[in-house]
Amino acid sequence: MTVHTPIETRSGGLPPWAILLTLLVFLVGGVYLAANVAGENPPLAIPGESAAAAPGDGEPDPAVGEALVGQATPQCASCHGADFAGSGPFPNLRGVSEGAVSENLQDFAAEHPDNWAELWIAGAPEADGIDRLGMPAYGDQFSEEQIASIVAYLKSLD
Amino acid sequence: MTVNRNPKKSRPYDTPPKRRRSLIPGGTDSAATGFVVAAAVWLAIATGIGALAIFIGIVPFEFAFDFGIFGLGFELNERRVDAAFANATVYGWLSNAGFAAITFMTPRLFGRPLAGEKLVNVAMAIWNLALAGGIAALYVFDLGPNAPLTAIPWFFGGGLALGALLITGSFLATAGADIRIGYISSWFAGVALLGLAGLTGLSATLGLVDFLIELPPLTVALVSVFIERAIVTVWLLGMAYATLLYLVPRATGLSLASAGLGLLTWLTWLALAPVSAVAELRDPQVPYVVTTLGSVATILLLVPASLTVINLAQSMSGRWSAVFGRGALAFAAVAATFLLAAALLEAIGALASVRAHVAGTEWERGVFLWAAYGAFSLAALGLMEHAAPRILRRSWGPGVLSGATLWLAFGGVAIGGVALMGAGLAEGALLASGAAAEEIAAALLPYRVAGFLGFGLVALAGLTTLVNLFLMYTSGEPADYTVPGQAATAAAGH
Repeated sequence: MTVHTPIETRSGGLPPWAILLTLLVFLVGGVYLAANVAGENPPLAIPGESAAAAPGDGEPDPAVGEALVGQATPQCASCHGADFAGSGPFPNLRGVSEGAVSENLQDFAAEHPDNWAELWIAGAPEADGIDRLGMPAYGDQFSEEQIASIVAYLKSLD
Repeated sequence: MTVNRNPKKSRPYDTPPKRRRSLIPGGTDSAATGFVVAAAVWLAIATGIGALAIFIGIVPFEFAFDFGIFGLGFELNERRVDAAFANATVYGWLSNAGFAAITFMTPRLFGRPLAGEKLVNVAMAIWNLALAGGIAALYVFDLGPNAPLTAIPWFFGGGLALGALLITGSFLATAGADIRIGYISSWFAGVALLGLAGLTGLSATLGLVDFLIELPPLTVALVSVFIERAIVTVWLLGMAYATLLYLVPRATGLSLASAGLGLLTWLTWLALAPVSAVAELRDPQVPYVVTTLGSVATILLLVPASLTVINLAQSMSGRWSAVFGRGALAFAAVAATFLLAAALLEAIGALASVRAHVAGTEWERGVFLWAAYGAFSLAALGLMEHAAPRILRRSWGPGVLSGATLWLAFGGVAIGGVALMGAGLAEGALLASGAAAEEIAAALLPYRVAGFLGFGLVALAGLTTLVNLFLMYTSGEPADYTVPGQAATAAAGH
């Protein structure tokens, strides 16, 4: 004789509240999806290619800069938007090639016309005293050459 | 009249014949026994490596030396220890525990011995040898652009895939056509096993193809992060559901409250678990709507988690005193709570605004701790509590060591997880405020120390599990339990 030890169930049917709850939550998920269709993903942070070890220690290269932007913590896109067009108090980065993109940087850009963006992103001592308005300093994450590549990428945006 | 025999004058045929033991055991429950022991050993190893991984976050250090041959060398750093921790936890502890659950549950649910028990034991050897070699290789070979769970070299990864495939074959052969009318746990286990075999096979194939034709790093990284997430949502989560839905009715001695809820849980998990992994493919090459769909699936995984907790709570009704004891039911109750909490935290973390601030921080490790060591591990420990006396045929109830395991694991995971998630939130806030690296490291130190201490308690829980198993085997009184496929002469439980 074979021993069969099945597990019994008290009820075989599906409770109506469970169906309703599931449909309701899926509906909320559908609304969230519909509200978040547009946008662009940031570049994937490839495991093992930490910012310190990433390429970019040569001539400024916009392609390298694009990859590095995706590895920044926190990500640039989290404040400036997935397309870097800015949102709310966070300035539009698509105008970096034209000069300072926010009012608090006008004087600073005039003093350092060649490398104001690099100094600002790095949080260099030259930028001390300017209210960063929540902008992180990336000087500890990226080398000077890598930041130059990031700026080259930002300047390449339309 | 008593006959005194001189043992020195015994003739050869007076001595009892020696038992001939097969090199590969094939007795009933031998595979389940092996997997339980392997899982307990890996639990101790994984928690030890995990404590080291958190310690490196507190006191960063690196160590390397060359073998002086083929340019190879040993290298110990944060990334390699993290990878070893993830592999030892997922493939070592949790996967062996999952295989133990399958080899224990399947014969009992279908009423027949496990098909190809010897083959499953061979699969166990292949799996664990490949994993041990793979984890050692993590400290030697280049990890490339792989996520931790695909970083094992492809030749060891192939061993994992082969082991998973053999166990899947045994499961399907045992269940046969009866799986259509089988208990819901067998449905979860079947899909989870197929998923594991497929994903480990894909991982090994990816490594082999990359070795042969050197794929672009981005391609490898994208496939890699997908596999890693799918292994958690399909294999580990599936086995947690299978285990809890089996364990609670068995431990309470009552029926499952609702088969309908179980079916709805299975359907929603089946639809959402693979899609959830798509959320990890965050790169401009992947359409934004696709990754958003993955994030929505991650959020919706709250549905099967909630349905399971409700179903289990209704099933426990009338046995609440056992929930607050220290037996299998207490493990199951705590595991179900962590399952729901981890699903909620993952849903919150999947929201774009939250992800932007916690991605890449200690938050992710804290949530992983709650899911892997809170939900999945406590479910597995609960099943071991129930299954070990039955497969070792020992009379062994929940004692002090069981209680210690439960409370150490619960306390350790709660403390460690909260500390690491707090560290992640603080790290995100400090990074957003433009704080310097030294300032961030100093601010995170207390959180990391608390995380280390919490995980130390989990490591102690791993040790108590090993000691409990050892004492059960050496000190427990032999007992009869119902054995699948044999005559029903024993009266004890199943």
